[in-house]
Formats: sequence, structure tokens, C-alpha cells
Amino acid sequence: MRNALEHVAWESCLLERGRDRALESYARRRWGFPAPSVAYFTSVPWVVRAIVDLHPEYGLLMRLDQTVADLAVLVVSQENSCRFCYAAVRALLWSQGMARSRIERVEQDLTRADLPPRTVAAMAFARSQSRTGPADARAARAALRDAGFGDDEMREIAFVVANTDFSNRVHTFPAIPSRPVERLPEQLHTRLLRPLLGRLFTYRRYRGQRAALPRELSYPYARLVKTFGDSPIAPALGRTLEEMWSSPVLTRRCKLLMFAVVARGLACDACAVDVREALEAEGVKDAMLAQVLTHLDAPELDPVERLLVPFARDTIWYEPAAAQRRTRALREQLSGPQLVEAIGVASLANGLCRMGAMLTDHA
Amino acid sequence: MTPTIVVLVALAVVLAAALYRQWRSSASLRAQLEAAALDLQQLQQTCARLAPAGVVQRLIADGVSAGAEASAERKVVTALFADLVGYTAMSERLEPAVLARILNGYFQRMSDAIHEHRGHISTFFGDGILAYFGALQPNPWQCSDAVRAALAMQAAIREYSTELAKEGLPPLSLGIGIHRGPGVAGLVGSRERMEYAFVGRTVNLAARVQSLTRVHQVDILVTEAMREELDSRFVLTAMPAEIVKGIAEPVVTYAVQENAS
Repeated sequence: MRNALEHVAWESCLLERGRDRALESYARRRWGFPAPSVAYFTSVPWVVRAIVDLHPEYGLLMRLDQTVADLAVLVVSQENSCRFCYAAVRALLWSQGMARSRIERVEQDLTRADLPPRTVAAMAFARSQSRTGPADARAARAALRDAGFGDDEMREIAFVVANTDFSNRVHTFPAIPSRPVERLPEQLHTRLLRPLLGRLFTYRRYRGQRAALPRELSYPYARLVKTFGDSPIAPALGRTLEEMWSSPVLTRRCKLLMFAVVARGLACDACAVDVREALEAEGVKDAMLAQVLTHLDAPELDPVERLLVPFARDTIWYEPAAAQRRTRALREQLSGPQLVEAIGVASLANGLCRMGAMLTDHA
Repeated sequence: MTPTIVVLVALAVVLAAALYRQWRSSASLRAQLEAAALDLQQLQQTCARLAPAGVVQRLIADGVSAGAEASAERKVVTALFADLVGYTAMSERLEPAVLARILNGYFQRMSDAIHEHRGHISTFFGDGILAYFGALQPNPWQCSDAVRAALAMQAAIREYSTELAKEGLPPLSLGIGIHRGPGVAGLVGSRERMEYAFVGRTVNLAARVQSLTRVHQVDILVTEAMREELDSRFVLTAMPAEIVKGIAEPVVTYAVQENAS
């Protein structure tokens, strides 16, 4: 199968595979098959659980058609040049019976004539949000509404795009090896077993059920979680955020500063307000925050913050190979878990900030 | 074998041959279409490095003539002008092939330094370079990016000069002027040739500031508007205000160096 990302340079992997049987079996139970990238992130369990729990195929979508969601994942991964996620979703669509030629036409945006207008609108939204981000959020939201999407469906599309933005970054920055996944549709045994694989991949897929948040949320970005109401996305996203904020690998202040930098880089005012309030509670004065956001540095920053504040900025717009080289330079100065958590935090900040712009009238 | 069977078999063979030819022809057309579509996709991605993604999308949807005016917008951008010092004299002395090789090496190194710091090159003109920061994607850190790029360009030119000296070739030196301000960004040009450009006083002032590097005998100069955005990691030295062409007030500039501490 021709691969539009074959020409995208991809460095050698920056992370070593780890063994954590509990996390591996957790992923296998949720997805029904071993998750190929989990082993690289086991030193920070919340990152693994976020990859697994936020995957939109397993009980999170109630209204959005699953194929539309898959196609949105495909075009966002293509736009973000994530060879790993792109190869994975291509292999998934292929194993489920979508013809190679059709997948290629979706990627090449040549499908307007033979896809339902709503699907075309959802794909256009996914493309535009990946290319231009929050700046075009209002226009993108209007276009979806014109195509007939209701509020709940729009929230689900925004979530799918945001989660793909998260997943793309998590896999791109450490250069998780993409070749094994890219080769899947070419191998004789996978071609022979294609119908079985299709069943295996879809066996555990299920639609979401209404789910209430377990308790009142009180952490930064809780406002965003609450916009999902009784959707199962709310508790899944809430759990991820709660685990991320309470993880001890990086300080809470460091994570908040990374979120603040991403919100500033994407000009998302709603997200910036949330982070400013939380930083105030951490004792960060307005003057210090202003200096960090203007110069990506301040005398009050500790050595890890001084590395990760500029790194957060590098995750907003990037080319994979350059981003991987910068992350490699960071690896020399951080411990393994610190690097994994930094990648997870920056990736999540990017996904949430883009989603925040879509779900709240930030402009 | 009856004549009917012979005719039927012959008919079947002819039909099969026709079908086979048709299949081969359609497979070949499909392969050509796929190759063209892949080229188009790569072209779109390349275009995204020359103009903002939104502009590229609008061009794809509406075409160049319809999309050109719609793409114009006001924005604040940082413009960097760079020019080789003593290029004209050098170009008269050297063989054309040697001069072209030196220039190619110079442009490559400068491009790398600018891209590494998130700038994009708008034009090469003669030995000069015009680059923008914050034109393609929103970039609140465009001023420090531009100054870091300028410092990286100076470091690269020093390294390149050392390489040239080993071949007995003259050293290169570079004057860089940087200014930040508002202007109009969009597609401009004729029907035959268009480019994504940023037009306005900001670009003119950056060019004038670059010419002041020779007056003040410094490598990098920035304007007052830039100084306000830079922190103590850069050492700025105020230069005497100078009258420049096209600007009514004397222009205050600052020489830039990296803070070694």
C-alpha cells in the first residue's frame, strides 16, 4: 500500500522498551490485543493509561459514527506527519475491509463525490484544526453545524481530533518505531489473515454509555471535562487529568507552566485563564508568569522547568525529525521518567488546548 | 469439433484478450492517478512551508486568482534582512563557478539557521536574504527567534569563512537588520508569478536597519520595537540615532550580542 508519509524523516527511537506486565495486560484487556507502543511508556503509568483509555474506539463515542471517527484520526495523523499513528489507523481501516485505493483517496482528499457530506465536513474540520489550530475554531464549528452536526456530535469530533493530536505527539517526539506497523498490510501472513485481524481489531470495540462524573472536579482544566456532561468521555478524560496532575515525576508547577506556554502559543484564552488561576494557587506571581510567557524563561525557574518550558513551545508546531532531534538533546539532561512525563504533558496540553478552543468560545 | 464450438472458443479468446487489455490499461491509469495524487499531496505539504496553511487551503479550494485577495490579512511579523559585506568586490575577482559554489554554501547555511529558529525565507536577492518570523503560524516568541537566528547565522558564517580560508578563498562577513511591526501578508504578484509576501513599512525599515550595520560597523542591529521584546539573555548596545531613507524620524538601533553569562 502506498504510504504518503514514507518521505517523512523519522529518527531512531529515543526511549527504551520497559516491561510492566500489569500495564501491558491492562492495555490487552481494554483493546483485545497487545498495544504496540505501551512498552515505551511504562515508566510513567498515566501516559500508558491515557493512550489506552482515551482511544475513541473503546466505549467513548455515543453519537459519532465510528468510521467518521477513524477517518478523522487518519487525516489528523497525516497532517501531523505521525508515521506511527498514521500507519496504525491505515492498518486498522485496511483490516476492516476498506480497500487500499479508497484509503488513499481519503488521504488525498479526493473523496468529496463518494462520501456523505457530513463525513466530508468532519474530515475538513479535522484537517483545518490540525493545520491552523484554535485560530479557526469558530469558523470550523460553524461549518460543522452547517453540515448538520448537533452539539454532542461536535464535542465528540473535537475529542477525536484532540486525542489524535495528543497521540500523534506522544508517538512522534520519542520517534516510536513505525516500520513494523507500516509493514503490516504488506506481509503475506497478515494479508492471508486479514479477515481474522479485522475481527480481532473490532472485537472489543463498543459504543459508549452515559456515565456521570464520580465527584466534583477541582483540578485545572476540569471546566473542559465538564463540557462533556454525561458522555463517557468526561470520566475518562477526568481520570487522565487527575492522574497527570498528581503524578510526582515532574512538579505540578512545571506541568502548569508547560500548559501555560502551549495555551499562549495557540492563543487559547479560555485555557490560559484556567492555567493562570492554578499557577496563582501554586504561588506563581503574575509578573513571573508574564516573564515566562514572554521570554520562555525567568530567574525563578528551576533547572527542569528551564528545560521544559521551551520544550513545550517546540511541541506546538513542528516537523518530526527536528522535533525528535530537540527531544534527543533533552534526553541527556532528564531522567527517563521525566522525559516520558514531559512528552505526555506537552502532548496532552496540545490536545486539550485545541479542544478547549473548539468547545468554549475562547476568542 | 463443430464449427459452432470453434467460433465460440475463438469469441471467448478474443473477449478474454480484450478484457485483459482493458484491465491492464485501467491498472496503468490507476497507477498514474495514484502517482499524480501523491505528487499533489507532497506539493500541498511543500506549499504549507511557503504560505500559511489557511492560505494554502483557500488556494486549493478557490484557485489562485480567486484566493489571492481573500488571503490578505493584517498581522505583526518580524522581518530579518541579511546582506554579505563586500560581495560586489568579491564577485568581480572570483571565477563564476567558484562564486556560485561560495554563494550556494552561504545560502544553505543561512537557510538552516533560519529554519532551525522557526523562520521562513521569503526571498534571496543577489547575496541578500529576507526572512520572516511569525508570518506562517502565530508565534508570540518571534522576536527572540529572529535574534537567535541572526546569532546562529553569524556563527555559521564564521565557521564557513574558516573553511573557505583553507582553500585560499576570501572570508565572508554578514550584516543583519531586524525589525518587528504590522503589515499586510498575502499573495501578491502577477497572473504568471505569485508569492506569499509581507508588505509595509516594517520590511522597508528592516532593510534600512541592515544598511546601518555598515555605518555602525556591527554585525546585527535591531530596532526599538525589538528591544522591548528581548530579555537579558541578549546584550544590547544603543547606537546613535540615524536618519534613513523614507523614514521621517531618526532611527534608534541596538547592536546585539548573546549574553555569555
